[in-house]
Order: sequence, then C-alpha cells, then structure tokens
Amino acid sequence: MIRFASLRRPAPALIAALVALAASPAFAQLAQRPFMVGGGEGGGGASGGLTGWLIEMQSQLTRLIAANVHALHSDPAAIWGLIGFGFAYGVFHAAGPGHGKAVIASYMMASDRALKRGIVLAFLAAMLQGTVAVALVGVAALIFNATAMEMNAAADWLALASCSGVIAIGLWLTVTKGRALLAALKARFAHRAALAAAPVYADAPWRQAADLGAAVAFRAGPPDGVTEAAAGDPAACGHAHSPDPAALEADFSWRGAAATVAAAGSRPCSGAILVLVFALAQGLFAAGIGAVFAMSFGVALTTGALAFAAVFAKRLAMRMAAGDDSRIMLAARGVEFLAALLVVAFGLALLFVAGSGA
Amino acid sequence: MDRSVNSATPAPRLALALILAATLAFLPAVAAAHPHVWVTVKSKIGFNADGKVVSVIHDWVFDEMYSSFATQGLAQPGQLVTRDIFAPLARENAGGLAEIGYFTTLKIGGKAVEFGPVKDGDYWMEERPDHLVTFHVDLHLKTPTAPGPYFSLLVADPEYFIDFEFDDNDPIALVSAPSGCSASIAKPKPLEDQDKQKLTESFFTNLAPGSNFGFKMASRVIVACP
Repeated sequence: MIRFASLRRPAPALIAALVALAASPAFAQLAQRPFMVGGGEGGGGASGGLTGWLIEMQSQLTRLIAANVHALHSDPAAIWGLIGFGFAYGVFHAAGPGHGKAVIASYMMASDRALKRGIVLAFLAAMLQGTVAVALVGVAALIFNATAMEMNAAADWLALASCSGVIAIGLWLTVTKGRALLAALKARFAHRAALAAAPVYADAPWRQAADLGAAVAFRAGPPDGVTEAAAGDPAACGHAHSPDPAALEADFSWRGAAATVAAAGSRPCSGAILVLVFALAQGLFAAGIGAVFAMSFGVALTTGALAFAAVFAKRLAMRMAAGDDSRIMLAARGVEFLAALLVVAFGLALLFVAGSGA
Repeated sequence: MDRSVNSATPAPRLALALILAATLAFLPAVAAAHPHVWVTVKSKIGFNADGKVVSVIHDWVFDEMYSSFATQGLAQPGQLVTRDIFAPLARENAGGLAEIGYFTTLKIGGKAVEFGPVKDGDYWMEERPDHLVTFHVDLHLKTPTAPGPYFSLLVADPEYFIDFEFDDNDPIALVSAPSGCSASIAKPKPLEDQDKQKLTESFFTNLAPGSNFGFKMASRVIVACP
C-alpha cells in the first residue's frame, strides 16, 4: 500500500510493493524465459558497426575464457590468459547498456570532489558484484549441489533486491534533487525579478515558480520518454548502478554509501555465474574465482572512465549555460534532477524488462 | 567558468546543454551487451501426405558453458544427465517458448505461420557423451500450410541473449517433402556498411535496442518448392 505520505519516504512502501509484485504469478510467469541464466542479464544490442564489433569481442572473449579454463588442465600458465581475458571481458562488458547508462546517470551528479570517492564506490560495487557471484555459486553449487533452476531462483531474488534498491535510491534522489531544482528555479526567478526592476512584475514569476514546483514535486516517476527508452532496453538491467556521489557531496555518510554499493553490487552477473559454474564443472573453481575478480576489475575500470565522461558532460552543460550564478545553478540542478529520474528509470527497466529474465 | 560564451538567448542554450548532457548519458546505450548462450541448430521441416508443411523439429546443441550450468547438480560425477533427470528443466524451458515465439519464424507466402502449444512428449533435454546439452522440440503448425514456391525459416532470439547458428554440416532437412523441394542457408548480411551510416541515427532510435537485433544476426533457411 503506497500511502500519500510515502512520497516523502518512498523507499519502504516501494520495496513492499515490489516484493508483492515479484511474488505475484505474473512475475513468476515472466521469469520463465527459456534457457536463461541467473542474474537477469539481458542480451540485446543496437545496430551499428561499433556494436557489432563489441558483441564480437565479447563473444570471442567468452570463448577464450572457456579455452583457457580447458588449457589449465595441462598448463598452469593459462591462468594468466584467463585473468587477462577476464579483465578484458569486464572492460567491454561494462561498456554495455546496463553498466554504462546507470553509472553515467548517477555520475552526472558528480562533482570533482565526489568523483574520486565515486570511483572508489564504483570499484567497491564491482568487487561486491564479483563476490556475490562467487558466494552464490560457491554456496549453492559447491556446498548444496544446487541445480541451474535453483541457482536461477536465488539469482532472481538477488536481482530483485538490487532493482528495488536502485529504484528506492532513485526515488530518494528524485525527491531531493527535485527540491534542489525547485530552489534553483526560485532563485533564478527571483534573480530575474530583481533585474526587472518594475515592481508590478516582480511578483509574477514567483507564483509561476510555485506552480512549477508543485508539478515537479508530485512527479514521482520518470517522464514517459525516459521510461520508454530505458524500459525498451532489455539489457538495462545491468549491474553496476553506481553510487550517487552528489548526494554525498554535502553530507557524506558512509552508511548511505554502503547502501548504494549494496544496491548496485548485489546483483550477480550472468556471465560471471556461467564462468564459475563452468570452472567448477572442470574442477577448477579457484581459477573461476580469479577470472571473475579479473572481470570485476575490468568493470570497475570502465565505469570509472564513464564517470569522468559524466562529469565532463555536466561541466559542459554548466559552461553552456554560463551566465550569472543562478543560471549555472539551475543548469546543474536540472542535470541532477534528470539524472535522478534516469536512476529510477533504470531501476524500473531492471525490474520489468531484464527482471523478466531477458 | 567562461562567461564570455554567454549569449542573449538563455533558455534555448540551457535546453541545448541539457539535451547534450542527456545524449552523453545515453551514449553507452549504443554499446551492446552480448549473447551469453550459444546454440547450434539442426532443424527438420516436416510435410504431410498432401505436401503441406506441418512441423518444425529442432535439435539445439548448447555451448559448453551453458551445458555446465544446465547439468550442474543433476547427475553423479561421471554420469550423463538423462532425459528423465532433465525433465523439470526441459519443462521450464519449453514452457517459456511460446512467449518468445519459439525462437522460430517460419514465413510462408510472406506470412509467419502460427505454432500450436508445445505439449509434454514434444520436447526433451539430454546430455550428450561429449557433455554438451541438447534440447529437442517438435513444433506443430496450427494449420498445415502449402509451401508455395518458396518459404523461409529463421531461428533466432530477438533479444539476442542466445546466439542461434545453424550447424555447418547438417543444418536443415526436409522430411517427406514434395519432390523438387530443396533447402539452402542464407547468411546474415554484414552489419557494417549500411549500419555504420545509420550509427548517428541509431544513437536516438536504438536507445531501446534488442527488439529485433537477434533476427539481424541470424542465418535463414530458404526452402524452394518449384
């Protein structure tokens, strides 16, 4: 039950709603996509030479990883190939939709100072993700000798937890950033009102700002366009939904950061699960663990690089909006608010599209 | 902050800046995920006594990673997973086939035919001696359909989580086909040329990729019945 008051504190009510949804038969039915692998990771791709190349690279790397696991039986040096290809796989993999977009959305909000901390958090999220995959396969397959169906079920629950966490964080950001945007709008209108010396007009923009503010505050979900774009992307259910450094900028708390890392990193990666189970079947689980953490390093590298791109984008936006302080602030807040909406959209896409087992 | 860039038209500039930022945010959307499961396809197309197409029979062989995943926890070491042991997983996989369109597009006379639901006994899964897992399924056309001069068969996952490729040696067989019918494989068109030109456009149109990407990458069987 989402009460009206939950607009202020959306997280608990939302998570309850999500859990109810996931327990419903509709979700269970959706989850039966044939030949799926836990982690709810999408396939997909967009057309384009670059994309075709990326897909080819990742497919090749998967085969190379498998080949190196085989080679380990006779040649211990193959571990280096395994780690190297695992790392490369992570780099390319994180450039895919799920990782990149969500990361960027969150990092749009980054400032220079938070960037460094954000990279640390992205790194931690990637490592957690690797650890979750190792723990899942280690406990489920190695100890309980679980089957593919049981591992899928376990991975689905982890994925659901991750989705819910991302949505909750996104909504919280939307509310916070919405308020900040509202404040920036007010400041902007006040500034312009002050410039327009005529007292007759001085009052009007204020009223306008208040109206706009009401609309923003009640807009808990992402605008239609954003939802469509993200929801149509089967792979948006990636993993490293990254931490929101901007929220940490003012009053940074390690507790909030830990929650963000947990939400971003609790979903295991389908590719990692496959590598681990395969290595286990070959009697080389330890090598599989090495490969998975190499992948995590690769993912962390790419997401870190994308974080820089996001900061660049935000700076560019602020520069293009250059003017007096109230305008720059408005641009910054606008970017942040959009990014917050995107985080919500990613979470929803995660839940409804990739959560359906794609 | 370079304030000299400031112009007299603040609102459009601000909008432009936001659009630019959003575009940058979506840039990685064009970078693709990739398939996680690889399948080698051998298909048969069945005809009835009237020479109409009645069924498509698939034998799909999975790659060794997915095979390890599927067989995990199902058999004692050194033993192969039998059809009986695989039954629950086979049922789960078969159960989801209808929703995804059976990964099979059989176009006769330009129209995709409809398949009836897959029933128990129409499918099984099994581990081969080389430890690769196979999935067998019989798809029955809802209505037997005359083949016409030619028709096509596409096996693909539209979302491209699974990469289906026809077997090199034995991709397709026609069962009790009218005399004169023959099958051949058409490889997918290379993506590069045409799509590179579209790349800029696809930044925006393909923010929601994957709706038919698997189809683009798929080989096609063309059956001619002159």
